[in-house]
Amino acid sequence: MANHDPIRVGVLFSKTGVTALIEQSQLSGTMLAISEINSAGGIDGREVVPVYYDPQSNPALHSVLAERLVLTDKVNVIFGCYMSSTRKTVLPVVEKWNRLLFYPTLYEGFEFSNNVIYTGAAPNQNSVQLADFMTTNFGSRMYIVGSNYIYPYESNRTMTELVLQRNGEKVGERYVALGATQEEFDPIIADIKKKKPSFIFSTVVGNSTQYLYKAYAEAGLNAKEMPIASLTTSEAEIREMGAELAAGHYTAAPYFQSLDNEVNAAVLASYRKLLGTDDVTTNMCWEAAYFQVHLYANAFRASGSDEIEALLPHLLGSEFLAPQGRVRIDPTTHHTCLYPRVGRANAKGQFTIVREAKRAVHPDPYLVTYSLGDWTARIDALDV
Amino acid sequence: MVRPHRIRTTPELLKDLRTLRVGVFCPRDHNGEELIRQLQRIGCQVQAFWPPPSELSEPFEVVFLAVKPETINLDLPWTKGDGGTTLLAVVNYENPTIVDAVLCFGATGVVAEPIRSFGVLSSLILARRLTAQLRQQKRRIEKLESKLLSARQISEAKAILMSSKGVSEHEAYAIIREQAMTKRVAIEDIATAIINANEILTAVGKPRTTA
Repeated sequence: MANHDPIRVGVLFSKTGVTALIEQSQLSGTMLAISEINSAGGIDGREVVPVYYDPQSNPALHSVLAERLVLTDKVNVIFGCYMSSTRKTVLPVVEKWNRLLFYPTLYEGFEFSNNVIYTGAAPNQNSVQLADFMTTNFGSRMYIVGSNYIYPYESNRTMTELVLQRNGEKVGERYVALGATQEEFDPIIADIKKKKPSFIFSTVVGNSTQYLYKAYAEAGLNAKEMPIASLTTSEAEIREMGAELAAGHYTAAPYFQSLDNEVNAAVLASYRKLLGTDDVTTNMCWEAAYFQVHLYANAFRASGSDEIEALLPHLLGSEFLAPQGRVRIDPTTHHTCLYPRVGRANAKGQFTIVREAKRAVHPDPYLVTYSLGDWTARIDALDV
Repeated sequence: MVRPHRIRTTPELLKDLRTLRVGVFCPRDHNGEELIRQLQRIGCQVQAFWPPPSELSEPFEVVFLAVKPETINLDLPWTKGDGGTTLLAVVNYENPTIVDAVLCFGATGVVAEPIRSFGVLSSLILARRLTAQLRQQKRRIEKLESKLLSARQISEAKAILMSSKGVSEHEAYAIIREQAMTKRVAIEDIATAIINANEILTAVGKPRTTA
């Protein structure tokens, strides 16, 4: 007799706390994929049922809730985490109970766990491209502004290395607390005005992102001359701050809502239908959260189980036609082959794509020394 | 406002990881495979051998050696080299016998089984730095020792000249230096020659002792 029991999966994205905004979009990407899978008859006739908790952007709570998902809710798989600090607390839990975490966020690299699938960009899939674009088009005097935690530290080290390779210099480096208010950015913007960098590299994450752009605009700085470059300012943050504040600034990511292809159009249509509105905003983290659930479901269909030993052989090396292009899980690193792109925020709150990789770039999470020449051959200029 | 994190450029030891030749001398079991895979993720040039070879076929910069009951009695001459190879022990026991073997092989790092991917990179970097520092210090000490020895010899030679020729210390040194320049040998060699000659002359001058 066929098994008709529902399949429970754990979902851990914050609805509250400093990174709630972007994590809610990851949550809705996850829910969209689950709803698509269930509408199409589930996984071999079994309904996928998300078990959701709000970890409140709090690292310690992530660990507690991950353990509850494993022990009380008996899930084999968890979709979740945004900040590296939260992933690091879930990691020991999934390793201890031999469960699998799907992590749909760009991060700083230097990690591998047999119990994690990483579907966001590694630094060789976004930082290299952004550094090359910014130094080529605006010059190589960089001013760094970041949130005060591990991802910005490592991400800034990578960017600094890349800019130094261009005989550039780091003219400033400032950090603000997670959840910083606009007053904290004002003195930084004043310093930026004084030092006149070629561009500002921001690794500010979460709800404070808007205040950086606001402080910048209020100081009368011009994005055409000294833009902000970011790996984390997505359509979600722009919607919150307003298109006007972000216009002219740059972000590197494998996915932008504005991507003009059939898959993206179809997934966006499906998302509009689910939400019952035409007014939807998506972003790189939403897309990764979306396609990783489909990768999971496909591997489950092939193996008949989501226990890690059964699932992994079908997951590793598997491909999926995602909105950004055909992605693939690299078996060696458990990271994902993705399509680096650089976008310039426009007046509509969307990104005009100015650079694009035609082929997927292999993840290299342990890459220490980058070479700027490597990727340029594989990424094409569009307009600018 | 938060105080800026002290930003660093990338340490040199991290930069050469991709060209590092690493030997893994471990059984090809689950642990051995996992260690090899993690080193490959890091990007090292990995070659695996089992059992551990008594001679290195290649100049490995780093060797991960399984220090287990079946390897602790092996004679591996390359582990007693000049410190050009960084040795990390891979262990699954922590008893005094194994710990002693780890020390005898001259390991500067330990990786414990079961192998976890996390931690291999840090152990590798730390062991490389320790090995490099030990080698530098060893060379420095050798240099200092030889300098100390020659200083002692020169002052002894000067003392001999001062008492036998009745010259000042300054003059004694001038004599030694002039000899060295004329004969094109090191000052230390002249000093040694003077000391030897003095020993012989002293022995000759002494009355024979009777049996």
